Amino acid sequence: MNRVLLVLFFCAMYSIYGQNSAVAAGEKLVYTASYNMSGVLNDIAQVTLETSNVKTSKATLLHLKCKAVTYSKWDNFFKIRDLYESYVNPKTLTPYLYKRDINEGGYAKNVKYTFSHKTNTVKTVQTKKDWVEKKDVKINSGTRDIVSTLYKIRLFDFESMQVNAKTSFTIIFDRKEIKAQITYLGKETISTAIGSKTCYKIAVGSNESGVLKGNRDNVVWLTADANKIMVYGKFKIPVGNGELKIKSATGLKN
Amino acid sequence: MKQLFTTLSVIASILAVILSVLPVSNLAIFPSAVALIFGLIAFYLSKKTGKVKKIIQFSFLLTIMALLLTTYKAVFNETEVGNTEILAETEEASKEEAIEELEELELEELDIE
Repeated sequence: MNRVLLVLFFCAMYSIYGQNSAVAAGEKLVYTASYNMSGVLNDIAQVTLETSNVKTSKATLLHLKCKAVTYSKWDNFFKIRDLYESYVNPKTLTPYLYKRDINEGGYAKNVKYTFSHKTNTVKTVQTKKDWVEKKDVKINSGTRDIVSTLYKIRLFDFESMQVNAKTSFTIIFDRKEIKAQITYLGKETISTAIGSKTCYKIAVGSNESGVLKGNRDNVVWLTADANKIMVYGKFKIPVGNGELKIKSATGLKN
Repeated sequence: MKQLFTTLSVIASILAVILSVLPVSNLAIFPSAVALIFGLIAFYLSKKTGKVKKIIQFSFLLTIMALLLTTYKAVFNETEVGNTEILAETEEASKEEAIEELEELELEELDIE
């Protein structure tokens, strides 16, 4: 009987957290990243989150892409051209391949992680200029890359969560596993570029030093509808706040 | 006291001009406000004692220039993304490379339609 209950529990959990009911191919979300100091905003970069289908001979995967591009006025000072990609299972958003190509003010780095969920390992290849470094990293079951985690958060059933309920997950970043946590802070209606939206307010935090420090300093607002897209994000930085505001949203699933 | 406010006003106005030509031109509002306040105090104190120094007027001039430039940039400069041709090429190359790598993975065991 206990085993049956256990199986039912996992099935229920899988249906709540597992199935992708929010993310579809063809979705494009455009954000403006700004620096806010005492209410004075400075737009720094445009962040784009895109999804598309990728067909291989064996399967059709979902390609999640995150791009960060500085506005032209910043290009002469500190040019950023970052590309983060993840190829995931369209049903569960489980990652198979993660790629990161960053170019920030002349500093360039290329990272590739190939996930093997059977053996719980990640094959990593890191390239800096001409220096290539390969390393196999052991991961825990359920560990994801940062891009697929961003999308996976949208599959959580916040409606059934209590205020201040916490959920933990593990992210692999810079070949290290980072324990992160989200706290559901309740619903809030905010005004955005795509209209007034009732949102789930979620605090994102980590216990690791230097990464998303603090519990309530980094907060994101996800629309309280079936799409659960992020419309606003606020991040604490040494002087002032960093903000991520939605500019446009197209190709949504629901 | 008069000297102190004059110096602070000049420093703040120079900072305002520097910030106003940078991409963070919006932040020039803060030193501009400081320069105006200190400049006015220095002007008032100078007037009380007799002669108003040219340097105070110079600080006002710098502050006004900084504010005009900041306002112009805020109103007329559109924030647009720079050249992304190289990034687009990187994206394309990365996708092609990724498809080749994904072909080698054992996807059939992973329950994908």
